[in-house]
Amino acid sequence: MNTVKHTMKLVSDEMSTSLMPFPVDKKLCYGWAQDIPRGGETILYTGCAYQLALLGHSYDRLIPLITKIKGIEKLKGLASKVITPSKDQVERSWQILRKMATILRKTGVEFGYLYEDEPYSGAILLEMGLIDEFKEVSKKVFSIFEKYNVKRVITVDPHTQYALLRGKEMNNTAIEIRSFYEMVGGFKASGVFTIHDSCLYSRFLGLRDAIRNIVRSSGINLIEDPMITGRDTSMCCGSPIAPVNYKVSDSIAKMRAESLKKLSPNVLVFCPFCYENLKAHVQVKDFMEVVNVE
Amino acid sequence: MSNWEIAVNRAIQNNVPRVYSVLEAHKYIEDMARKVREGKLKVLGNIEAYVEETLKSVKRTGGYGYYVATPEEAREIVLKIIGDRKRIILGKSMVAYEAGLREFLLEKGKEVWETDLGEFLIQLAEEPPSHIIGPAIHMTKEKVRELIKERLGEDPGESHEEIVKFVRNFLREKFLSAEVGITGANAVAADTGTIVLVENEGNIRMSSVVPPIHISITGVEKILPNLEYAMLESLVQSAYAGLYPPTYVNVTSGPSSTADIELKRVSPAHGPKEFHLILLDNGRVKASHDPILQEALLCIRCGRCHYHCPTYKAMGSGWGVPPYSGPMGAMWSYVVYGNKEQALLCCHSGACANVCPMKINIPKVIEYIKSLYFKG
Repeated sequence: MNTVKHTMKLVSDEMSTSLMPFPVDKKLCYGWAQDIPRGGETILYTGCAYQLALLGHSYDRLIPLITKIKGIEKLKGLASKVITPSKDQVERSWQILRKMATILRKTGVEFGYLYEDEPYSGAILLEMGLIDEFKEVSKKVFSIFEKYNVKRVITVDPHTQYALLRGKEMNNTAIEIRSFYEMVGGFKASGVFTIHDSCLYSRFLGLRDAIRNIVRSSGINLIEDPMITGRDTSMCCGSPIAPVNYKVSDSIAKMRAESLKKLSPNVLVFCPFCYENLKAHVQVKDFMEVVNVE
Repeated sequence: MSNWEIAVNRAIQNNVPRVYSVLEAHKYIEDMARKVREGKLKVLGNIEAYVEETLKSVKRTGGYGYYVATPEEAREIVLKIIGDRKRIILGKSMVAYEAGLREFLLEKGKEVWETDLGEFLIQLAEEPPSHIIGPAIHMTKEKVRELIKERLGEDPGESHEEIVKFVRNFLREKFLSAEVGITGANAVAADTGTIVLVENEGNIRMSSVVPPIHISITGVEKILPNLEYAMLESLVQSAYAGLYPPTYVNVTSGPSSTADIELKRVSPAHGPKEFHLILLDNGRVKASHDPILQEALLCIRCGRCHYHCPTYKAMGSGWGVPPYSGPMGAMWSYVVYGNKEQALLCCHSGACANVCPMKINIPKVIEYIKSLYFKG
């Protein structure tokens, strides 16, 4: 477990200097954005979650090994060159974000974006339990929002939403934090799916019913079972503990996928980390990949 | 699928729907749970005073009460009470496990038998408990059959019923010849010094009544302000464990007694001549002074959180320091063993908090323990 301490020290140090959890080419985070005004009272905030999720598994597997190398901190610049997602992966995550932006626009929401100034939310620090470090990072995140006179932040994934809400509480700020899924509706989609709930959306953020309503009213035939997709029976994908124990994280994902497959071979998710953890074990789609925006 | 996955899936399928239907059928249980939480918070706000009151009450009923700070002290007192007696039976007690009592007594040359079926099986297997109230849930019935054949040299049969019948026959003589019975306590009433034990097998009733000496060992956090709260606790525990109504609720206040001659109450009568209550601290009092950790002490050991937890489902008893596993175990591994690392394996899925009868915000407590880990 000392490796975890070392790993999180690296993450925490990186956060305090670059506001990113690990070395990354920032174009990966903002390259998706087209024709969105910079800044504004309302911003779409990705927290780079969809984009960084692509790298999570590589780091989860690699960091325990490389932290054993003395002086590895000095070589961190190399990591952003060596650990890169495939073009297809990047394109997929960018398409999801572009679709979210399009949907927001169609809903009549005016919003801007912070491009290269958009920081990571610090969610990994919070979820791993580095509360003091998270507070520090969160303070910096909110000060960036304040610099841009942001009044409302729209998040696109559950981990960022949760991190910002916790940060809001700690920083005592009036900035409004809203989830994309609280603001949109009227989707059109088809197909037969079961649903894998994000634990955060479902049990911490009160969005379980809102998300179900969105899916059901879209035209999707949603297959559920109270023992598999119930409010308190739906299990986690295992992603949050990947930095601590990759093997256990993956066995949780496998068990979860096996349960879901009993209902349908096609699984809908609403979180990029759930997607990444489950995809090796079941056919999984982000909801944004199945909705039609035309 | 591994043996563990088969076993835990069977346990979940058997238990989870049953708890939901118990709660649906008996709406008053949720009110009782709220009341138990209220009672437990009262005690945790001033635990030292309640320990003192409990010990005085035990004395008043003719029993002997002890507060012990450490497992070592608990073991010493137990040994002193047992003296030269040889044959000991244990009713299920996780605090006895925490105190290392069975191994200790075996080392001292005593003949010790666990009488709860699950505990009996893990004693035979020399394994730690895999669940706070279902210590042998990691064993499939096929595994149990093999274990009994291997350790006791007899085939108990294939079905659940046959296996239970075999163990019942095996333990019968142990109950009747035991000189000391050691149990835990689900709840302890401060005002009367009464312990309340809930069970289904009948082993606790026999362990606490048949031998001439009854020792109950439990944690200080099991104290409730009075007998009303303590009775409610036992019912709530059994409901959230999915075993409602419980087959037996045992209420013990001191040694056996009778007032059948001129209504003069004398002791002993048919049951134990001596009753001893050992209240173990082992980090609990310190935790009660910490506003976040205090929540962990509200746990009534129903074991429901385990069945809703992804990490427990993947790791079983490998998550937590025995006998404490699962979400409650991640908290308790820190409270009594100072182990912070177990908390790191929490996925913060949050289902544990939703299903907890005491409404413990388990993810919050675990987040706090994680933060202590990183602080040093």
